[in-house]
Amino acid sequence: MSLESNATESLPGTAVDGDWKRVHPASPFVRGWVALAAVAYFVGRDAFERMLQGRDFLDPNLNGRVPWLLAGGGILLLLTVSGFILSWYFTRYQVAEGYVRVNTGFLFKQQRQARLDRVQAIDIVQPLLARIFGLAELKFEVADAGESAVRLAYLPLAQAKQLRATILARAAGVVSEPGKEEEIPEAPEHVVLSVPPARLIGSLVLSEQTVGILIGAAVVVATSVLFENSAIFLALIPGLLGIGAAYWSSFNKGYNFTAAISPDGIRLRYGLLDTQAQTLPPGRIQALMVTQPPIWRLFGWYRMHVNVAGYGVSASTEGAARTMLLPVGMKSDVLRMMSLVLPDPGVEDPERVFTAGLDGLAPAAPESALADGFTTTPRRARLLAPLGWRRNGFFATKTALLIRSGRWWHTLVLVPHQRTQSMALHQGPVARRFGVADLVLHTTAGPVSPRVFQASVEQAVELFDQQAARAREARKRQTSEQWLAQVAPQAPEVAAAAQPVEPDQPVEPAQSVEPAQPEQPQTSHQQEDRHHG
Amino acid sequence: MHTEAIDPPGVQWLRVSPKYVTVRLVEWAFGNVLMLAVLSLPLVFVLLGWWRWPPLWLAITVPAVMLVLAVWRLVLIPRQVRAIGYAERDDDLLIRRGIFFQRTMVVPYGRMQYVDVAVGPVERSLGLCTLKLHTASAGTNAHLPGLPAAEGARLREQLSARGEARLAGL
Repeated sequence: MSLESNATESLPGTAVDGDWKRVHPASPFVRGWVALAAVAYFVGRDAFERMLQGRDFLDPNLNGRVPWLLAGGGILLLLTVSGFILSWYFTRYQVAEGYVRVNTGFLFKQQRQARLDRVQAIDIVQPLLARIFGLAELKFEVADAGESAVRLAYLPLAQAKQLRATILARAAGVVSEPGKEEEIPEAPEHVVLSVPPARLIGSLVLSEQTVGILIGAAVVVATSVLFENSAIFLALIPGLLGIGAAYWSSFNKGYNFTAAISPDGIRLRYGLLDTQAQTLPPGRIQALMVTQPPIWRLFGWYRMHVNVAGYGVSASTEGAARTMLLPVGMKSDVLRMMSLVLPDPGVEDPERVFTAGLDGLAPAAPESALADGFTTTPRRARLLAPLGWRRNGFFATKTALLIRSGRWWHTLVLVPHQRTQSMALHQGPVARRFGVADLVLHTTAGPVSPRVFQASVEQAVELFDQQAARAREARKRQTSEQWLAQVAPQAPEVAAAAQPVEPDQPVEPAQSVEPAQPEQPQTSHQQEDRHHG
Repeated sequence: MHTEAIDPPGVQWLRVSPKYVTVRLVEWAFGNVLMLAVLSLPLVFVLLGWWRWPPLWLAITVPAVMLVLAVWRLVLIPRQVRAIGYAERDDDLLIRRGIFFQRTMVVPYGRMQYVDVAVGPVERSLGLCTLKLHTASAGTNAHLPGLPAAEGARLREQLSARGEARLAGL
């Protein structure tokens, strides 16, 4: 221990808040290894090839020029390395007074500071090389839907975790007196679910992607038979490589997916070679979507995506993986995740309502249209949506709006009332003819775009009005960005201990919804019990 | 003022300035006259005998269809402008637009991140401005064109003040 503290003395310190610290000295090399590898490649390739061919190690034509070349290569290497060292030296960060500050650059200096209580998510990412060295990158997301506000690459893993705990505790509103700065312990975790690799592979094999590939392959085989030309197969090779890479990256990203709950929020961990640990603080999920492609219905699998203000939309696999709340899971997993995202569902029997949202279908008979609670497209518009009219529907609980759609691609979208940004009613000429309208809820950028399809005009207008009122009420209850301050001013552990009554109580509208949040481990236990029981 | 089916009941809509029709006319002229001119070129060339390929009927049909569409859009402009409306409620701003494709939007004051007032050259000469509201969502495409400059400034101040009073996090 003493050795370790000695070692960290000069390096970025571990504990005390408020110091300016540096990232790990090896980080530029881990980040810029491609540049180094390129230098090595250019210098070494020629010589290596010669050696393989059993010729002279050096090109005989280069006689006399060797020292120059070596000197040039050496200077290039020196410049790169000194650039690395300078960039490391001038990159410093600090967590103090409710801000995280990062200074970078030595020619063009950049100073950036972000308010801790504006944190939307914190990710700890370990690319393969960093993982070998025990390093990790910390990404601090704020709501600008672009790149990460603050990226600290790389810190030793333990220190990254420590920093994450500190930031999350500060953001939650835990204050430690300036005199006695103690280490903030990592919040205890409770693993909620994990995805077995077999199911992940199964889900990839049975994904929409596979169906597309099979159709494509059938077309190719048919054409090659038709034109009696086997050369078409050759054209497939790059496509196959691409497909293989896509599957591999999905597998690599989804492998060992684990969701856990802690007072800091929801923790998601995943990755085979590159590992990632995301932390979504309570109440930072703007919208949630559960989808089920037709083939997955045979196995009862679902997947979940979320909109988080810091993640934004990104076409890359990494971006797509970050907005994935569950790559594949059974219904019990889905319900459990929903109970984490929405600790207080705001209805008496959440399981029945969510099930109706996931798989429900309104009866075809005209009278009993409200059988499962969801308000669906009126019968008069069944020509407008011949497949979906019994499925398209919405259900408003006290805390969130549930929107279901899709007869084949089952989709359930959940938007907490206090997360609604703005709303719009849309109606085109055809919809007007059938007396229906669409309600679009605007949320932050992400894969989920909530839309109530083809609700009857009266119900849509009513929902529009009520939803505006509900969102207003919910916003009034949520007063502070610091989620601990929204609860009683007591430590989360205490709150969790004093909480055995909560879930079965009907929540009064005047009472805050938020108190359930830091007690999530507790709630999830109970939720689990309910599923098993 | 009549209210359409999808408008919430009991809302007193404020309309934008009728002068905004002029702005829309200028925009229409820029877009459609240019487009028509380009699409008519083949017809001119065919008539002059420079080109052989587009048969005469095609060379006539394409600009003719465009002309009909353009005139249709032109006829709609005054009604579209009349259909734009907004209403300040206690906690949110309602914006509506459209005749065939109607949209009624509600933007809570507490959700507004910032308010823009933009003035183009034509608008400036008529003393109008365009107000844009931005929330954390890119989907909030809330802009109110054709406001008289004084009304735009009043609304901007009003919205900012109300937004501050009701500010909520994300």
